[in-house]
Formats: sequence, structure tokens, C-alpha cells
Amino acid sequence: MRRIYIIGSLALLFASCKPSVNITTAPVAGNADFSNYLAIGNSLTAGYTDGSLTVSGQLNSYPERLFEQFSMVQGVHGAKGPFIQPLLVSDNGYPGPKYVLGMTYNPCIPADSSLGPISYPNWIMNPSDVTYTSPSNNGQINNIAVPGIRVADYDVAGYGNYPAFVNANPYAARFYHNAGTASPLDELQYRVGNLYPTFFTMWLGANDVLGYATAGGVGDGTGAALPFPGTNIYNTNSITPYDKFDSLYDKALNVAISTGAGGALINIPDITNIPFFTTVPANGLILTRQGQADTLNARWGLSKIFQVGANYFIIQDNNGIRQAVPGELILLTTPQSNFTCLGWGSTVAIPQQYVLTTDEIQNIRRATASFNSFIQYEATRHNLAYVDMNKYLSTITTGVTYNGIKYTAEFVTGGAFSLDGIHLTQRGYAMVANQVIAAINAKYNSTVPSIDVNKYHGINFP
Amino acid sequence: MKKQLLAASLLFSAMTSFGAGYELNLQGLRQLAMGGTGAAWPWDASTIYYNPGGLARLKGIQAYAAVDFIMPRVAYGNYNGQTGISRQQTFTPFNFYVGGPLQENSRFALGLGIYTAAGIGLDWNDHDNWSGRYLVESINLNATFIQPTISYRVNDLISVGAGFIYATGSFDLTNALPVGKDDTSGQAHLHGTANGVGFNLGVQLKPSDRLQIGLTYRSQVNMNLSGGTATFTVPTSLSTSFPNTTFETRLPLPQVATIGIGIRPIDNLTLQFDLNYTGWNSYDSLKINFATQTSALQNMHAPRHYKNTLTPRLGGCYKISKVVSVMAGAAYDPTPVPNGYVSPDLPDADRIILSCGVTVKPLPRFTVIAAFEGTLGMKRNGSYDYGQFSGTYQTQAATPGIGVYYNF
Repeated sequence: MRRIYIIGSLALLFASCKPSVNITTAPVAGNADFSNYLAIGNSLTAGYTDGSLTVSGQLNSYPERLFEQFSMVQGVHGAKGPFIQPLLVSDNGYPGPKYVLGMTYNPCIPADSSLGPISYPNWIMNPSDVTYTSPSNNGQINNIAVPGIRVADYDVAGYGNYPAFVNANPYAARFYHNAGTASPLDELQYRVGNLYPTFFTMWLGANDVLGYATAGGVGDGTGAALPFPGTNIYNTNSITPYDKFDSLYDKALNVAISTGAGGALINIPDITNIPFFTTVPANGLILTRQGQADTLNARWGLSKIFQVGANYFIIQDNNGIRQAVPGELILLTTPQSNFTCLGWGSTVAIPQQYVLTTDEIQNIRRATASFNSFIQYEATRHNLAYVDMNKYLSTITTGVTYNGIKYTAEFVTGGAFSLDGIHLTQRGYAMVANQVIAAINAKYNSTVPSIDVNKYHGINFP
Repeated sequence: MKKQLLAASLLFSAMTSFGAGYELNLQGLRQLAMGGTGAAWPWDASTIYYNPGGLARLKGIQAYAAVDFIMPRVAYGNYNGQTGISRQQTFTPFNFYVGGPLQENSRFALGLGIYTAAGIGLDWNDHDNWSGRYLVESINLNATFIQPTISYRVNDLISVGAGFIYATGSFDLTNALPVGKDDTSGQAHLHGTANGVGFNLGVQLKPSDRLQIGLTYRSQVNMNLSGGTATFTVPTSLSTSFPNTTFETRLPLPQVATIGIGIRPIDNLTLQFDLNYTGWNSYDSLKINFATQTSALQNMHAPRHYKNTLTPRLGGCYKISKVVSVMAGAAYDPTPVPNGYVSPDLPDADRIILSCGVTVKPLPRFTVIAAFEGTLGMKRNGSYDYGQFSGTYQTQAATPGIGVYYNF
């Protein structure tokens, strides 16, 4: 019986030592120095989500995620902090309400209700959000992203002079050091002098095509638009002229690298892939009875053919009224009830500011390709990391599986894009951060660890 | 139009389930102590499982009962510093056998075995922060075989046997759903009972008192589950997208062919060698079909593509006295799970198994057996491509067992 006792104690021995796995090694900076990190960009860099800027959005911006990962790097080249973002006080949305999911009702068919984005109903303006003061003694700010900013705006003096100056930006007004007169280039110069960054990321250029796209292509899409007479200011509905983009991007970049900082340049996504443009199908006119088709055929004549099933909408373009063709895009902002209440797309043409036609889509793609080739050229020339976010976000269109979740570019349900169909969720921004980290590690031989994306929030369902 | 907006499906690749290596080789304590060998030598009534052909070799009717205490624990880690560990649990697979020749010198033997044939259980600690939660939070699966058996001793050399298997089991799985509110994920809970049938054949050869040979074949048993309950905890606005419903699935318990050789070079020492060929390749995919489907809740079809395995086992028994014998053994049990299919519901790895045990016979007809099995070095760096989840797993299992048998 003594042997049984021995076996018993052996069992206890096995049970008491619990297994553990630790295969990580201390992250290293490689040839990079993350100790002072500056983020330059637009709404995507500011943490804009669900159609507005909120403090929780800012705290989950991809620069915040990057800073956290850079902080894991040991030694003098790891990020030390603090990482200061111009945080809002309110989580309601600034300067207007964020979207939340809620029930929406079709005014013509009250029984037809569904879950969709609505403006946050309890929104109030918090006066203390209008301006921002850094808690740091020397006014340090590490994320100087401004939602809405274009490369084309970088030489516009008084860009933060809101609301006095009509082309000013309320987000720039919150924290620009010299908001009354400074251009974004001046602000960048000031921040670089103030922070003396050792590392930066720059994600600029999306708004140089997005404004044209979200306006339904009503502006100048040629890439050779002219400024308002007597100014250096371009209509936000137009695509920024290619040469203007290149020269201002180059100027901004030269300021960013003036301290000898390393960094990463992030290119412009193909915005025609994002839910804002892909959610409403161009052939979303569903006819269930032959009578409906006959009525529309009689209404529009032989040039447009309607049948039972899916039909392409009737749209307006620069040359008049016609039926949409495959590949054309209807904007998410098209008032949904107008399809049923006013006959938009069937008896009445969808106005052109809600439609991207084939030509307009080509303008967007051509400009995106031109800007991205310049960004890549600059990255190569200045020996910086180049992040092909265009390629990565395109893979989300077909679906990216991560730790058991399949993320897609589906509106609301896809998990990566927020309720505005343009900006990302917290998880989407974490995925972006992982792409930036991968490019930085490849370029600088660093081993910054990637982020557990699913730790953060996706879409919030009521 | 808004309806159409939300018609897009919530495709998530979650809800995978059963892991690998869910077969248990714990059907006899003496065999367990000898590295899992037992096809050749009919030691006791557990030969109903190890080789039904050996049942007719027993001296008389025997009743046998044993229980094991499996204490598996799995740790996870990846290069980004995320870690996880499964909760400490104890599972108790059991064996009960009764059978033997109907009377002394009878060529016929009858028997009944009721035993736990398969099972896994894993519950990852801290569900909300476990990075594999969208694949599995906890899983519990077991299958019990009820096997009436007949055996016939053709002559002194050859004895044959066959058993019919009725299998009954249960299945329980929870995983997180990527539809949440703030920090709370949704959750899916699948629960059901399964059953199946199969058979167990064996030929036992006894060329001499010092050499015995066993050949066995156990058929695949398809565990069919229908009418299981699927319960979803989701935000109110999605309750119609995730209706509570029923589901069906099927899990194959693989066929196994075994050849075993036992030799007795000296009177007190018996050595056994077994080779198992296990037909895991029948587990090529896992399908879970829901009775009610919505745009968000779709049937699941996860590839598995397990590989057949060849497991060598070695064991010995030394009889110290008329009262006490000791056993020891070892086995190398390669994993059927190929790279790319290593999922966190049971991250299987190649196993080195070491075991030992003792029998004590305090009364002429009564024997007590104790055994212990430990698995070593089960560390595996693997990925589960279907769910894009990878990392390194370390599994540790310690299995003590105790049992008794009585000869009538």
C-alpha cells in the first residue's frame, strides 16, 4: 500500500505545477527612436468615429495605441510619455452630435422601422470643449491631427481662426498655438520646435479626395482645380490639384523630419471601397410586380428598361437624367425616406450630389493613385517607413479574420467601420495601428509588439 | 432601405468546437499503467475494450470497476504578450466491466462494458479578456460506450470476440459573439446530447504461455447530435437576429486498428508492445446547422482535416509476489491535428506519455489497482487558420486512477 501512497504524491506533484507560456522577448527599437512621438494627420489620426469627435474616440485613436506599444520598448529609445492629445471633455460629439444606433421610422410607412444610425439624442454642447489647454507646462501636444484638414489647407493662414474666418476649422481652433493667424504649416513648425520629435507618423491626403467624393463629385475632379479668386484656398468639393498636393505635402514632411526624426508615411485609402459609398446599391430599386415596371417604362420611355427584380436607380449626372450603370455609387447620406416617400431613383432622379458616376469614380481613383505615388516617393527619398493602408483597407472589403472574428467593410455589421461609414471603430483603428507597427518594424528592424484588436470596442448595439 | 442596410450578415467565424485528440485511452488501469498496451494479453475484464477476443481466456466471471481523475491544464501565449490559462478542473472517466466464460472450461464468454471512451473539457480563465474568446470560452464533451460483448475460444491458439457499441454523450460549448454593448460581448451557448453506434472486434492468439498476440479493430462511431439547444445572449436590438433555436451536428469518434504483442521472458515479467492506427482523417470538417437561420446566424462549417496517426506503446508488468505487481510504460502519441488547424478548443500536440501502477491482491478473489499517467513536453506553436488565431500552447495532464476487480 505504500506504493499507492507514492503514486498519490506523484499525482499531486504534477497537478501542482501549472503550465505557463511566455514566448515574448523584450521589444527593441531597432534603428528607431520612439522616445518623442508626434502624430500628424486628419480625422483618422484624431480618433474621429461615429460621425464626430469624442473623448473616448480620442483615447482610442491609433496614435494612442501606437504610443502604448512604443512604451513597451525598453531603454532610452522607448516612448516615455506623457502622450498628450487635445482631449475633449465631452463624449457627446464635437462640434455636433455623434451617431448612435437607434430605431428609425419611415415617415411614409410608420410600421417600417429599423435599427440604424441616429444622431445622439442627448447631445449638448459643452462650452469647455471650444478651446483646449495642454496640461503640460510647455504646452506639449503629441497628436496635432485636425479632422477635415487637407494637404491643400497646409498653407492657409488663420486656419484656426474659427468662427471669424469662413475657411477656418473648429478643431484647429481648439488647440493651435497661434490660432488667429497660423497656417497648419506654421503650427507643425511650432510643434516640432516645441516637442522635438524623434519619431512621427503622417497620415494626410484622404480629405483631398474625400470632400469631392462626399459631395457627389459636384466639384472639380480634374486634379487641376483653381483656387477661389485672389486666394490660395480651394473649394472643399474639389480634388486638390496634383502639383499643389505634392508641393505642400513635401513642405509639411520637410518640417516633420527637420529634427532628424524617423517616421512612417501612411497612404490614402481607396475611399470608393468604404461603406459610405458601398452600402446603398446602385441597383437597389426592387420591383415586385410587373405593373410597377410597366409604369416606370411608360414614365421614362424606351431608353430605360425596368423589370421585376433589381433595377438600377434613375440618377442625375452633369448631362441630365439617366439610369445608373454598374459600378456607380450612391452615397450613404442620401435621405433614405426619399426613396419611398418621394420616389427617388424611380419616378424622380436621385440628385447628383448623392451619386458618384463612373467618371467621378475615375477622378477619385486617379487622384488617389497620384497622391499615393508621391507619398511613396517621399518615403523612399527620405528613408521612412511606408504604410500601404490603401491595400490593407481594401482587404477588409473582402474580409479579414482576426482571432475568430471576420471583419468586413459592411456598414454597421462589418465591425471595422463606424456608424458614419467612413471612419473606423476602436477595433478598426487598432487594426490600422497594427499595420503601421508592421511597416515600422520592417523598416527600422524594431520589434514593437502588435495589439490585441478585440480588446477594444466595436459597434455598440443597444 | 435601412432594413436592407442591416441585412448584411454578421459573419463571424466563431463557434468552432471539438478539439483534437478527444479520444481517451483510459479504459483499463493495468493497461494505462503499461503505456496503454493491452491488445495481446487478457489480464482482466477490461479486455472487453482492449481485445474482445481475450474475454474467453478469462478463468471465470469477473466484475471490474475503475475511475480516473484527469486534471488537464492548458496555457497559451503569443508573441504579443497575450496569455491565457485554462481553469483547473477534474474529470472522472470511469470503466465498468463484467464478463467471462459462462462456466469453467466453457468456450463461450459473455460480457458487458460501460466506459468513458472520449472526452475533453476546457474552460479558459477570465472569459472577457481571453483573446481566443470568439472561438471558445469553454467546452465540455464526453462519450460513454455501452458494449455488450461475446467471445469464443476456437481452440488453445485462437480466441475471437465481438462487441456492439451503443454510444451516448453530451456536448457543451460557449463562445463570445462579436456583437456587444460597451465592454460586454454577446455569448453563444450550445448544449446537447448525442448518440451513435459501432462495434469492436478482436482476435487473440496464444502460441505459448510466453507469447500472446492481439489484433483488434474498433469501428468509427458517429456521434450524432440533433435537437441541441442554442442560446444567445445578445443586445436587445439583435434578439431577432440571434433567436434561441436548436442545432444539429456530428462528431466522428475514429476507427482504430491495433496489433499487440505480449511476451513473458521470465516467469514474473511480462512485456507488451502495441501499435494503434487511428483513422482521424474521417474528421475533415465540423458542421453546425441551426434550425432557425437569420442573416446574422448562419450554419457553420469549419475545416478540420485531421490526419491518421500511428501510436507505438510499450509496457511491462513485474510480479513481485503473489500479492503485489508493479507496472510501468511509455507511449508516443502523435497529434492528428495538422498545422493550421490547431484551435484553442483543444490545442493538441504530440504527446510523450509515461505511466506506472501497482496491483495489490489482498484477498484471493479481490484485486485493487492504482495507476498514474503523466504527459510531458506538450508544447506546440500552432495556428488555427480558419479563425486566424495562433500562439503557443502548453498542455499538462496528470491522470491518477484507482479500481478494483472481483473474480466470481
